[in-house]
Amino acid sequence: MPVSSADSEKTLASTADYHAEVPLVQGNLSFHDITELVTAHTEKKTPLAWWGAFSLANIGLLLLVGMIAYLFWNGTGVWGLNNPVGWGYAIVNFVFWVGIGHAGTLISAILFLFRQQWRTGINRAAEAMTIFAVMCALVFPTIHVGRVWAIYWTLPIPNQMEMWPQFKSPLLWDVFAVSVYFTVSLVFWYVGLIPDIATMRDRAKTKVRRMVTGVLSMGWTGANRHWRNYEKAYLLLAALATPLVLSVHSVVSFDFAVSIVPGWHTTIFPPYFVAGAIFSGFAMVVTLMVIARKVYGIQNIITIEHLEKMNIIILLTGSMVGFAYITEFFIAWYSGVQYEQYAFLNRAFGPYAWAYWTMMTCNLVFPQFFWIRKLRRSVPFMFAISIFVNIGMWFERFVITVTSLHRDYLPSSWDYYTPTFVDVLTFVGTFGLFFTLFLLFLRFIPMVAIAEVKGVMPQADPHFYDHEGDGHDHVHDVSLAADQDHTQS
Amino acid sequence: MGIRKSNPFVWLLDPLGPTAASAPYRFTWSQTAWLLPLAVGIAGLTVSAVGWATNAAQFYFSYLVGWAFCLSLALGGLFFVLIQHLTKARWSVVVRRIPETLLWSFPLLAVLGIPVLFGMHDLYHWTHLDLFDPASPTYDPVLAGKQGYLNSTFFIARLIFYFVVWTIIAYKLYTQSIRQDVEGGADIPAKQRFTSAWGLAVSAVTVSFAAFDILMSLDPHWFSTIFGVYFFAGSFMSIMAFTAIVAMILQKKGMLHGVVTTEHYQDLGKFLFGFIVFWAYIAFSQYMLIWYANLPEETLFFRHRVEHGWEYHSAALLIMHFILPFFILIGRWAKRMLPLLAFMSVWMLVMQWFDLHWIAMPVLHEHAQFSLFDLAAWFGLTGVFMAAFMFRLSRHAIVPEKDPNLASSIAFTNT
Repeated sequence: MPVSSADSEKTLASTADYHAEVPLVQGNLSFHDITELVTAHTEKKTPLAWWGAFSLANIGLLLLVGMIAYLFWNGTGVWGLNNPVGWGYAIVNFVFWVGIGHAGTLISAILFLFRQQWRTGINRAAEAMTIFAVMCALVFPTIHVGRVWAIYWTLPIPNQMEMWPQFKSPLLWDVFAVSVYFTVSLVFWYVGLIPDIATMRDRAKTKVRRMVTGVLSMGWTGANRHWRNYEKAYLLLAALATPLVLSVHSVVSFDFAVSIVPGWHTTIFPPYFVAGAIFSGFAMVVTLMVIARKVYGIQNIITIEHLEKMNIIILLTGSMVGFAYITEFFIAWYSGVQYEQYAFLNRAFGPYAWAYWTMMTCNLVFPQFFWIRKLRRSVPFMFAISIFVNIGMWFERFVITVTSLHRDYLPSSWDYYTPTFVDVLTFVGTFGLFFTLFLLFLRFIPMVAIAEVKGVMPQADPHFYDHEGDGHDHVHDVSLAADQDHTQS
Repeated sequence: MGIRKSNPFVWLLDPLGPTAASAPYRFTWSQTAWLLPLAVGIAGLTVSAVGWATNAAQFYFSYLVGWAFCLSLALGGLFFVLIQHLTKARWSVVVRRIPETLLWSFPLLAVLGIPVLFGMHDLYHWTHLDLFDPASPTYDPVLAGKQGYLNSTFFIARLIFYFVVWTIIAYKLYTQSIRQDVEGGADIPAKQRFTSAWGLAVSAVTVSFAAFDILMSLDPHWFSTIFGVYFFAGSFMSIMAFTAIVAMILQKKGMLHGVVTTEHYQDLGKFLFGFIVFWAYIAFSQYMLIWYANLPEETLFFRHRVEHGWEYHSAALLIMHFILPFFILIGRWAKRMLPLLAFMSVWMLVMQWFDLHWIAMPVLHEHAQFSLFDLAAWFGLTGVFMAAFMFRLSRHAIVPEKDPNLASSIAFTNT
């Protein structure tokens, strides 16, 4: 029976409009406008505000280097670790930063597999964030060992001692997981960048710029054959990155869950850590994008719809994490194991209750405000919530790591962990590293994937000009980033 | 033209009176086609009744597995529909009516669940009250500590609560969709999304606890926080297989031509593949973490499943539920080759039953065994379940014909 009978088509046409999507790119921009908007900020003179921010970030970076030098010279005793609590800030920060990094791959790979076109506005910045967050994360497994110069022993390299790493240790799996994750994220990001670097190359006015972008764009001409291979490679990378991103944070969760420590040993950790990673990662993307879109005047490309969708994902994953907290609590009671039961009572009412309730408030309560449409579309509100979420998620890792260790089986080995200034300043320093790299990215690389955004614009539809538009751009109507500072405010 | 409500007897099968469906989207197979699975179902349940008379414990366990299988399909359908509305998915509109029709299975499943309540003493060790009595020689302090949760009254109350909640969500989603066929209703997509938003949160919590209650408490000493996710993963996988196979049968019988295309099958295949992998991820995480720590109170569950012949079942689960389907379904061609996809869909549905069998049966039998009554109860319940499904399908359009995204769903192509 043929479907396309005249009647049914008419019915479909009449109902089609109320489901119309809000356009991903607003302000009636043309292809050229997108190129102008995005590349302009890499071409203009470096603004003073950027130098200010970059200097601040560099101070943080110096702080990190200083703290690490101090640590290497004096030993890990400069941290506040004690005998029951052998894992403190270093591991907490490691898991925190790895978690931050996960949103990038989720946006670029998983949303790509689900054909979510709104990802195009934010994927470049999110991937950059992934790479820099993973670099911050990698600092910690390297420096939290007592003898950093022997760390290459964790690699399976043939050696004169005929010694190999222990493949049963999840800390070794971490080495593989995070280094593979970093490599694949970098390749994925770079592959996505090639067409945009070619755009920069074609616009380059100075010789140096032409040379650098010419080398990095690898002879990209945008030929049909290039695009065919590119799309295939991108799909394959997305399909590989998706199980990778799930497995990386699962492996990180195994560090805790394979142990027999009450509060650590629970089977829900792998999916629950992954949900938490997406939760905190998206919060970080919101924090950064809310500022970047304003400062660089790309509100028409990263629209309020994008932010709202990210907030919905924060709500979803936040609820998953919240439900996992409840499940853990319930099963701890249900297990009938007194140590499990005590571990959870200790979290809620023990000496670290303040950390636990901070975590619960930030992760379980605050994201629930996003049920209200008005709040999840309010930029100041979402900015505040995104900060709270990351505070909450940092405390989640702190609660898991420290409260489980500081009181376990033997009451004679109970203690309290207080971080020293080296712990705290190292963590602060990683923000310096992160923002140093992120500011360099913002300055020199198109922060929006130009080619991809163009691909999802209505003009990219082969039939677009059948109906409307003359194909000419509206570059005079849009306020570009360069002159926005003068025209607005 | 409004929609009639059904009379109270038919309500159990379909809360709405039959609606006139336009030509291309009507169920054109014989209007009594549902009698066929019903006959299989009655035959299966008759054999099961013999099993009840001869070996009650075996019957109850077999019945529980069959019932949990049907329940997991219905819950998988619930999740699928909820997620499609929430994400405003367009590709899936043409196949959405299949899981939607399955949603109204909850009232029937509640009725079919009554024998489980009669069998509680055989099924659930914690119903033996002597365990809770300190004076008794079989006193079990661990289970006595759980008595606040594991007791028959609260258990039944919880089950009723779950079914009421699922039925309410199902009622809303099902009637909203059927109403859209008849009235068009410009406000319906927004309503469906609203229902889905709270429905998803409520379903996630109830399904997880239902899995703890119905399956995990068969072995009341054992506990695993991930178990709810494990049950969810299998359910979602099954509904993808179910949807694909039903769509193919309908096409074989001359319906849905040019509506459901290879493109949609490829997407169903992708979801099927994705959830085969997700199931394996969850199953492996659960196994590996328990194996690694080897704490006695947790390890016993797997101990029972890797000895006395059950090791073959465990290995079969690994190979047949993950490794083989993974390699068979990974290619694009495999998901577009319909006979292969049909075969794999049936295979995965069998594996879902096998998985549930593997969870439940070692509690009853120390030595691995299949029973004729396992199959009888499974076919019996699934037959009745399918008959009700087909009955509903024959009374309404088989595609949400006034969904605003239908045209774009029909025209959908994988790029």
